[in-house]
Amino acid sequence: MSLMIVKKMDKKSAVWFERSNQYLMLDPFVASAVERIYNQENNEDLALELMNKHHVPREKAMDFISDLKEKLVFPNTAPKRVVQSDLKKHEIPDKFAFTTYYQIHSKVFKVECTTEFEYSLTHPKIAHLEVSNECDFDHTATIFSNGKTTLLYLENELTGSWSREEIHYFEGKFLMKIIEYIYEKPEDNWMGVFHASALSYKKDTILFLGGSGSGKSTSLALLQAHGFHCVADDFVPIDNDQLVHSFPAGISIKENSLETLLPYYPTLRSAAEYHYERLNKTVRYIPPKNTDYNTRYQCKALIFIKYDKHIDFEIKPISNMDAFEYLVPDSWISQNANNVAVFLEWFSLLPCYQLNYSNNEKMIAKVGRLFKNGL
Amino acid sequence: MNDKNEKNISRKDALKKIGNYGKYAALTALGTYMILHPKKAQASSPGAPGDGF
Repeated sequence: MSLMIVKKMDKKSAVWFERSNQYLMLDPFVASAVERIYNQENNEDLALELMNKHHVPREKAMDFISDLKEKLVFPNTAPKRVVQSDLKKHEIPDKFAFTTYYQIHSKVFKVECTTEFEYSLTHPKIAHLEVSNECDFDHTATIFSNGKTTLLYLENELTGSWSREEIHYFEGKFLMKIIEYIYEKPEDNWMGVFHASALSYKKDTILFLGGSGSGKSTSLALLQAHGFHCVADDFVPIDNDQLVHSFPAGISIKENSLETLLPYYPTLRSAAEYHYERLNKTVRYIPPKNTDYNTRYQCKALIFIKYDKHIDFEIKPISNMDAFEYLVPDSWISQNANNVAVFLEWFSLLPCYQLNYSNNEKMIAKVGRLFKNGL
Repeated sequence: MNDKNEKNISRKDALKKIGNYGKYAALTALGTYMILHPKKAQASSPGAPGDGF
C-alpha cells in the first residue's frame, strides 16, 4: 500500500499521499479520521466520536465516513497502474550549430544544440558562465529535436523528451541535472526546487516568492547591490538536510526595471537582450555576485514580496497554511516519502511574511534587520 | 498572495467538498478541504523568473 504522511499546520493538517502526490489541507479531526480509515481501524469508534463531538445521528456519521473512504482515501491509495516509459532512443546528430562550454561551480559542461531554439532554452541564464571551448569538460548535454519533440541526452544517454507545450519541464530538467552534477547528489537527495529568489547574509538565507510581476527578481538585484548575496534566482534547490544550495543562473530583468537598476548595474545598458516571443517579453540577465558555492544556507524565513506603487512599505506575518497554498502548486517537491516528511517538517516551522513596498530604502533596511534580528 | 483576485481564483479551484449533509452543517464544514498539486517535475520559467516591476 502506498504511503501517507500527516503534518499539523496552523489550524489545519496537511496530508500527503504517495500514490497521487497530492497534498490535502484538512480539518485535523478529518485528517486523523482519514489516517484511521487508511490504517483500516474500526469505523464504529470513529462514528461514535463524530456523533458525540458534532451531534449528528449515526446514519449521517456513517455517510460521512463512507464519503471519506470513497473520495479521499481510496482514490489516493489504490494501487496505480504502472505505465511503461515510452522513451525511445534516437540517433544522436553528429553536427551541432552551437557547442558551448560552461564552468558551473567546479564542473565544466559541454552543451551541444542543433538549433537556435534549443540554444535559446539553455544558454541565456548561464551565458555569463561560458568558458573557452578548448578546456577539458566533465559532462556533456546534447539537445536536439525530433519533429516537435525536444530531446535531452546526458553523457549520450537519453534523459527525457518534451513537447513544445511542456518545454518548461525540459528547461527544469536541464537545470536540475546541472545541480545534481555540481553537487554530486542524485534527485532523491533533494527535498525540492522552489520558484523563488534566495538571498543570503552570512549563513542564513531568505526565500522571496511572488507571482509574475511581483518584483521578486528586481528586489533581489537591488538587495544584491546593497551587500546581500544572491544564492539562486527562479530555481532554488534545497536538499534533504533542509539546506539551500547556490545556483549561479543569471537574475532576469525586464525592460521596465532597467531604470531602477542601471545606477547599480551600469553594464545592464549594454547587456545582451533576449526576446521571448511566446511570453512577449524582453529580458537581460545580471550575473549573481555570489561565488561562494561551498556554503549551504539555512532558510530563515519565507517572504511573499510585491512591489506596489500605492504602498510605501508594509510587512506582516502570514499563516503557514496560507503560504503553503501558494508554495506547493508553484514548486517541485520530491515524491520520495522521506523527503516529503522533511519538507513538511521544514515548512511547518518556517516564519512566513507578506511584504508590499514601493520604498526601496525601507525594503532594503527591513530585510537587513530581518536577517539580523527577525521581524 | 500578491493579488486578491488571483488568490480567490486559486482558492476556488483548490477548495472541494466531500459531500453536503443538509442541516448537519458541521459535517459539511468538516468535509470542506483544499487540494494542492505540486509540479510534476522541475520547471523553469523562461525569461520570466519573478519578472520586474
